[in-house]
Amino acid sequence: MSFRLRGFLIPPLASRIAPLISMLALSTLPLVAGAATPEELEARLQALMQQVDELKAEVASLQQQRGSTGPQDAVAATGFDSAGPAQQQISATPPTAVDQNPTLFGYGEISYSNPRGDAADATADLGRFVLGVGYRFDDKTRLLSEVEIEHAIASAEDPGEVEVEQAYIERELAPSAVARGGLFLIPSGMLNEVHEPTRYYGVFRNFVETSIIPSTWREGGVAVQGNTAGGLRWDIGLTTGFDLSKWDPTSAEGQESPLGSIHQELVLAKAEDLSGFAALNYTGVPALRLGGSIFTGGASQGQPGLPSADVTLWEGHARWTPAAWDFAALYAHGHISGTQQINLTLVGNPVLIPEDFFGWYVQAAYRAWDRADWSLAPFLRYERFNTASGYADIGAGLTPSPLPDQSVWTAGFNLILGTGVVIKADYVDFRAGGDGDRFDLGLGYAF
Amino acid sequence: MAEHTPSWLVGPGLVALAVAPAQVVIAAEYLSIEQAQQSLFASADRFEEIALALTPAQKDSVAKLAGPQPPHRSLRIWRALRSSELLGYVFIDEVIGRQDFITYALGIDAAGKLSTVEVLAYRESHGAEIRGTGWRHQFEGRRGLDQLHFRADIKNIAGATLSSEHVTQGVRWLVGLWQTVLQSGPTAAT
Repeated sequence: MSFRLRGFLIPPLASRIAPLISMLALSTLPLVAGAATPEELEARLQALMQQVDELKAEVASLQQQRGSTGPQDAVAATGFDSAGPAQQQISATPPTAVDQNPTLFGYGEISYSNPRGDAADATADLGRFVLGVGYRFDDKTRLLSEVEIEHAIASAEDPGEVEVEQAYIERELAPSAVARGGLFLIPSGMLNEVHEPTRYYGVFRNFVETSIIPSTWREGGVAVQGNTAGGLRWDIGLTTGFDLSKWDPTSAEGQESPLGSIHQELVLAKAEDLSGFAALNYTGVPALRLGGSIFTGGASQGQPGLPSADVTLWEGHARWTPAAWDFAALYAHGHISGTQQINLTLVGNPVLIPEDFFGWYVQAAYRAWDRADWSLAPFLRYERFNTASGYADIGAGLTPSPLPDQSVWTAGFNLILGTGVVIKADYVDFRAGGDGDRFDLGLGYAF
Repeated sequence: MAEHTPSWLVGPGLVALAVAPAQVVIAAEYLSIEQAQQSLFASADRFEEIALALTPAQKDSVAKLAGPQPPHRSLRIWRALRSSELLGYVFIDEVIGRQDFITYALGIDAAGKLSTVEVLAYRESHGAEIRGTGWRHQFEGRRGLDQLHFRADIKNIAGATLSSEHVTQGVRWLVGLWQTVLQSGPTAAT
C-alpha cells in the first residue's frame, strides 16, 4: 500500500522507516527528562541498531530488485524514468500527475495532382501544415489549439492562408461529461473531427465531406459532450452559424461548396443568429460506429436586405472495421430556407443560392499487408453528390435548373509507415457531372 | 483519487500532512486503484505490490513478444491474494493516447487468462469511446499474445484508433511481462 502526500507517492519502505524515526524521537525524550537508567538506554540502543541493520538489508534488497519493467522506448519518448515501481513511487512526478505540459502535436500533407489529359495543370502543393498546442491548466481544465498554414506561403501575392483551426477550452463537468468553449470542430460526419491525413483514405478528403459538409468546419460557441458506459457519445452545442450575406452570386465557389462559401470560421463572425447542433455516435459494439448529427440556425444575421433564412445540415454515417476490412458509408443533406426572396434579388447572376444539396458515399478498404511497422491498404470509394439539387421557385424562366448529380469513383492505396506517416496514391474518375479525372500522390504525417 | 489516511505517519509526518491538499483530483478519473483491484479480483482479500527486476535479456524477450509499443509513463503491479493463494496479478499501466496518457488496469489470473480492461483515467479530448464496456470487454477471457492482435482480435474503434491501438499494445506488453517473468512465479516481492 502506498499513500499520496502533496502529490508524492510515499513508498512502502518509508512506512517502515517512519516508526523508526518516531521511535528515535521518542527514545530521546527520556534522555532529556533524565528518567532512564543506563541499562535501559543501552537496551533501547541495541534494539534501534538491530532495526537499522534490518532496514539497511531491506534497502539493499530493494535496490537489487529495482529494475525497469516498462518498454525502453517509453523512457526515451516521455523523458520519464519508468523503472520499476519502487523507483516510480519516490519520483517527484507521481504516475497520475499532469505532465507533458504543454503538449505539441500536428499534421501535414503534401500532394501531387495530375489531371487526366491536361498535364499542364499538374500541381504539387504543401496543402496543409498544422501545429497544435495543448495546455492543461489544472486537472480538469485544458486548452486545445491548432494553427494551420495552407499552401505553404500566405502573403498578398500567394494563395496560402493562415488559419486558427481550433482554439477551445475544455472543462470536465463530470467523469463522463466535458464542456467546451471557443472555436471547435462541429461533430458532423466522420472526417471533420478526425481529419489528419493518416486517418482517411485518398490523397484528398472525399468530395461529400468537403462540398456538402464543409470540412474542416468549425464554429465558435459552447458545447457539452458526454460518453456513456454503453458506448453512446452525445454532443450538443450553441454556436455561431452561417452568413448568407457572404454569398457571391458571381463566383463558382457556392457551387463547389454551398456552406463552405458562407461559413464564418469565427472571423469577426456575425452573431445575431446563432445555431445549435446535436450529434449521437454509438460504438457499443466493437468495430462498429453508427452516428448522426444535425446542425441548424439562422443565416441572415440581421443584415439589411436579407430576409430571414435558416441553414440546416443533417447527416448519418456508419463504419464497420472487422479485422482487416474497413467499410464506411455516409449520407448528408443540406437545406437553406428563405432563399426565394434572396434569389429574386440575385436574378441575372450565374450562381443563385440552392435550397437543397446532398451527397453520399460508400467506401471499402482492406489492409492487405499488415506488418509490424508498415501496412498497405487499397481502397475503393463511390460518391454521389449535388451542390444544388433544388432551387426555391421564383417563377418560370427565373428559377435555375438543378445541377446534375456528380458521381465519382476513387481507387488507390494508403501505405502507412509506423503509426504517423502515410504515403498515398489514387485515381479519381468522374462518371457523371464532372471532368476532374486525375491521378494523385500524397505524403502525410500526424503526431 | 480519494485521499487515504496515512496511518503510519507520526511526528514530523503529521506536520507535512497538515499542509497537504485536501484531495488530489485526477482528470477524468473513473476508478481508484483500489476499486480497479477489487473489480478485477473480487474474491481477493489483499493486494501486495511487487517490484520486478528484469535482466536485459528478459526485457528484450518481453519487447520481442509484445511488439511495437507506444510511449508508456508508469507501471505498477500487485499480486492478488486470497489468504496465501495467488489469484493473479493486477497491472496499472499508462500509455499515450495521442497527446495525453491513458491510465488503465488489467488483471491476469494464475492461469494466464485476462480480465477486462478497466480505464482509470482518460485525458484526451477525443477518443473516450474506449471507456465503453463493449470495447473493454474484448480482452476478457483471452489468453496469450496470439489472441491479442489489434484489429483481428481486439477491434478498432473508428475515431478512437490511436487510443484503441495503444491500449492494446500496452496490454501486449503486460502479457509479455507475465509470460517472461511472472508465469513461473515472481522472483521478488515486497
